[in-house]
Amino acid sequence: MSFNPLEHRGIPLDRQLRNWRELDVEPTDPDHADPYTRCRIITMNGIEVEALMFSHHFARQCPDMEVKRKLAEIRYLEQQQQKVVNWLLPGTASALETTIAYEQVAVDLTAWVARMEPDPYLTQAYEFGVLEDFDHLYRYANLYEMVQHRKAEKIVDGLTEVIPGRPTKYHHRHPADNVRTPYDKSTAAPISKLHALTIMSAEQQTMNFYMNVGPQYMEPIARQLYQEIGLIEEEHVTHYESLVDPGETWWERLVLHEYNECYLYHSFMQTESDRRVKAIWELHLNMELEHLHAACDLMRANDGREPEEVLGDSLPEPVTFEPNKEYLRELLDTQIDLTTLGEGYVRDAHERFERMQAAIHGGEDPPSERVIDDHAALFDGADYRLSTEGAHPVEELRR
Amino acid sequence: MTGVKTADVVELLIGQHMRIRDLFTQVESTAGKEREDAFRELVCLLAVHETAEELVVHPEARRVLEGGDDVVEDRLLEERQAKELLKRLDSLGPDHADFLPALAELRAAVLEHASYEEQYEFRYLRRTLDPERLAQLADAVLVAEKMAPTRPHPGAESATANLAAGPVLGLYDRVKDAVRSALSR
Repeated sequence: MSFNPLEHRGIPLDRQLRNWRELDVEPTDPDHADPYTRCRIITMNGIEVEALMFSHHFARQCPDMEVKRKLAEIRYLEQQQQKVVNWLLPGTASALETTIAYEQVAVDLTAWVARMEPDPYLTQAYEFGVLEDFDHLYRYANLYEMVQHRKAEKIVDGLTEVIPGRPTKYHHRHPADNVRTPYDKSTAAPISKLHALTIMSAEQQTMNFYMNVGPQYMEPIARQLYQEIGLIEEEHVTHYESLVDPGETWWERLVLHEYNECYLYHSFMQTESDRRVKAIWELHLNMELEHLHAACDLMRANDGREPEEVLGDSLPEPVTFEPNKEYLRELLDTQIDLTTLGEGYVRDAHERFERMQAAIHGGEDPPSERVIDDHAALFDGADYRLSTEGAHPVEELRR
Repeated sequence: MTGVKTADVVELLIGQHMRIRDLFTQVESTAGKEREDAFRELVCLLAVHETAEELVVHPEARRVLEGGDDVVEDRLLEERQAKELLKRLDSLGPDHADFLPALAELRAAVLEHASYEEQYEFRYLRRTLDPERLAQLADAVLVAEKMAPTRPHPGAESATANLAAGPVLGLYDRVKDAVRSALSR
């Protein structure tokens, strides 16, 4: 099982370009695909988008023309990878259906990372965030039944529960309280760096997705809910990106990005249930190996360091999409009333938090509350829930 | 759909699209009598839904949407193709070895057709028509639904239940006649 990407060669860069026919992938089925296949597609799209935007930012501040050209060459290939991955999503699924799948990713991916993370401060950051994504899933599921007359269980397929988490209205914190303490690049375990990059990328893609699809809806409550949760995604990106040590050099960060792509494609290749999609993960892993080697060469030449100094000697355990129901219920039971103060976590609604809450809500219920009331008005006074493991662990959140 | 208050034709038709989508899954995942029943229900719902669209929604789209005639022509072509596939399925019967592949073909065609309607027709109708007109159209679609119950119960030999019996293309015609006469009343 142990796999060290530094010891394997992939498809040479000059043979990676795909033509239109090769880019034209057949999408997955909206009703029959494994929900976790859809989760892996959404995750890898977020990873690819981060890889190529990182490369753009790097290029914008890089005066060396040779390096700029190398970055452009690899970035074009990564754009092709992104096109293939994201185009696996079917056009017959609505944006709201894809949104619910995005939240399923946020819940089960973040929960898995929290369980595997060795550093307790970082674990706390993931545990804190996952209870918010968990609540977003519940709010969007209520919107889904209202506007599309369908239950979110058809999408999450019973793998993830849809019940209230930390109420969305309490996610609106003062932006300064979203900045966390970064890990220390010289002492952090390689897996911690990969986790931070993965969750940051996933949340960033979610932020971008909501800012673009939100205005496509006509129903006022849908437009408003996307605005509200879209602003929380801004908070989440701030939260997770601040975990990354800003002292890492651009070369080091490039290597980490490429290494993380190898890690995730390798992980998903091992856990994928859809043979056709699995073949894409395998192909992309073989492309990423060469992107990684090119990044390593740049690091050696420009940083005068060996990539082995920042990477482990083999890939960690594969990132796995699996139900995390018991784990999430434990977090609901113990961490639902947390908020942040400075770089830490507290249970009190402190002054800066209260001020932000008063300012953003303006004395009214936010869209995330109204969507539940509107749903109740349409559906016999009840909210939509998918609860498979018994009563809600928090008494006040039971029906 | 129980417990849902529907006041808007677009909402009603989207709800039917979702039921159609779920019924396809039900037909695929069952066998024997259960599959037979689910397939009948699917066929009835498709007949009612497409008829309602043809008689109630498409004419309205032609009238109020810019380029409405062309949009509707595209939809009608898809509907004709779907009907051909449905005819083939009906002649095969749910136990035939070719039934599932043919059903998959019909499902893909119907889901795509429904997506196009939602994207290119429904959202513009909602933008163009006032809420009262949308509610009126919803009532007309509900009339169509009453004409042909989508869950025919064996033994209930009413005039409406009889609509569901017999070959599917005949069913389409019978539903259409029933809705026409209801609308002209």
